[in-house]
Amino acid sequence: MPSRSAATWERPPPLPDGHYVSGRVYHDEQIFAEEREHIFRKVWHFVCHESEVAEAFDFRTVERADVPLLVVRGEDGHIRTFINVCSHRGARVAMEPGGNARTFTCFYHHWTYDTEGSCVSMPRPEGYDHTPIRKEDMGLREVKTDVKWGFVFVNLDDDCAPLDDFLGGALDIFDRVLPNAELEVFHYHRAEIDANWKAYQETIVDLYHEFMHVILRDTQMPAASMDDREMRTYANGHVTIAGLKADYEKYVGWGHRDDSTCFPGLEPDDARFAPLFPAQTFITRGTVMRIDTVQPVTAHKCLIESRGLGLKGESPEDRMMRIDQHNEYWGPFGRNVTEDAFAAEGCEVSFGKGAALRGIIARDEGGKGQCDSGLRGFWAEWSRRMGRPASHPTND
Amino acid sequence: MSASNDAVRELIYRSCRCLDTHDFDGYIALCAPAFRYRITVYSPELRKEMIWLNHDRDRLAALLAAVPRHLARLGSLQRNATVYTIERDGTEGPARVTSAFSVFNIDNEGRPSVFAVGHYHDTVDVGGERPLLVARNARLASRDLGIGSHVPI
Repeated sequence: MPSRSAATWERPPPLPDGHYVSGRVYHDEQIFAEEREHIFRKVWHFVCHESEVAEAFDFRTVERADVPLLVVRGEDGHIRTFINVCSHRGARVAMEPGGNARTFTCFYHHWTYDTEGSCVSMPRPEGYDHTPIRKEDMGLREVKTDVKWGFVFVNLDDDCAPLDDFLGGALDIFDRVLPNAELEVFHYHRAEIDANWKAYQETIVDLYHEFMHVILRDTQMPAASMDDREMRTYANGHVTIAGLKADYEKYVGWGHRDDSTCFPGLEPDDARFAPLFPAQTFITRGTVMRIDTVQPVTAHKCLIESRGLGLKGESPEDRMMRIDQHNEYWGPFGRNVTEDAFAAEGCEVSFGKGAALRGIIARDEGGKGQCDSGLRGFWAEWSRRMGRPASHPTND
Repeated sequence: MSASNDAVRELIYRSCRCLDTHDFDGYIALCAPAFRYRITVYSPELRKEMIWLNHDRDRLAALLAAVPRHLARLGSLQRNATVYTIERDGTEGPARVTSAFSVFNIDNEGRPSVFAVGHYHDTVDVGGERPLLVARNARLASRDLGIGSHVPI
């Protein structure tokens, strides 16, 4: 009997709990709300690269876990992060996405803060003389900030473990590149798509979906033995993927990539992925690096931020080459990212309203080939932090 | 005899129509051999200019030829352009043309949504039998393009 009845369709698959996920994890509003508290307000988040705040008083504004953040480099060279909310009446103190400012003056009542978060002035302070309110006590709320190889991370939880403990060595997959290279961001875009945040992040970890991408079918799947691949999972739900190769001659117009000036320690066809839990991904493909973050917006929408990085101080020719090669794969007109976003939105149509009941993540190729071990690692960490198995996240 | 401004306007509109209908050979036929196509946008986050696509005629032709093989957004993109200015230094010299564009996505159910807004900054060779695009900078004013597109603007 090739098709299934309602009973057999609704019956859980004959798999261990960790080998499938319930469709509810993609649309349940209670689960979505708990993810913000139990995951996004507890983990370290990549927020920007240090080249985005290269000079004293440079700042960036971002959002993580629905919290507006202000990342700023102080006169002392240190990068600090504050909740971008005035202590007075809750308005944002920095409105622009980036800039350079010695102080931040709230537009509403002109309370002013310096780059160390101190409230340095409030108009007509005598009005508070009859209260304990003094500007010395009204600084911005600082957020834990740490920098790893130029990547700026923050954590909204003051009691969190150190960044290196959270990373657990996952970024070491780039240890041939990052200690020897000073990077610089040349590409940034953000895009809101109609998909649950996990549906997009899964496209990063899911190697089986190579079949979806023409580029990967042509250049990556035939380029090397599936046994050369190494997918590792880490304790905190991070994944690394190495050993991916690409034969660029196989895609019309891309043969030039084989002769390009690479990042230190990498070959043109050398691809390395580090998807960090929950939704931040570091990727190198020989000549260029991409960093993505995915932020939940609603249970049915997410915000993707994507960056492209080259080498600081490189020649204009090399920079242009890196921009071109970044844009071939990635960016809003890239061949691959558009397809990944399409896939996430395509799944939203069915998972978003409950038509799809489950996703199967049962492929086992021993961490090689197109193994689902990375997906299982992601969902195991999700289940641990959420206190419920992804296969049975609700009682019904 | 140089091409008239009417012929230049028709070139701009025809280029939009070719992309709307996926007549990619027709689009490339509107481009001079030295054609350079770019999509650019300013990032207030980085405080830098960005290039989101940069191709000569041959590489653009290869990119367009590969479009049918790719997994593409459902529905279609439809361009709405208006030529604002045509500046000419002389009768034979290239014309500099500035046009506004809006690109709408029409999904499979016929629902429209705005995909992108910006300006074309074109250089047009008007000295031949017919005007040809020498350079196009599709300058974006909007930056959130949703899932993006395999077809240029």
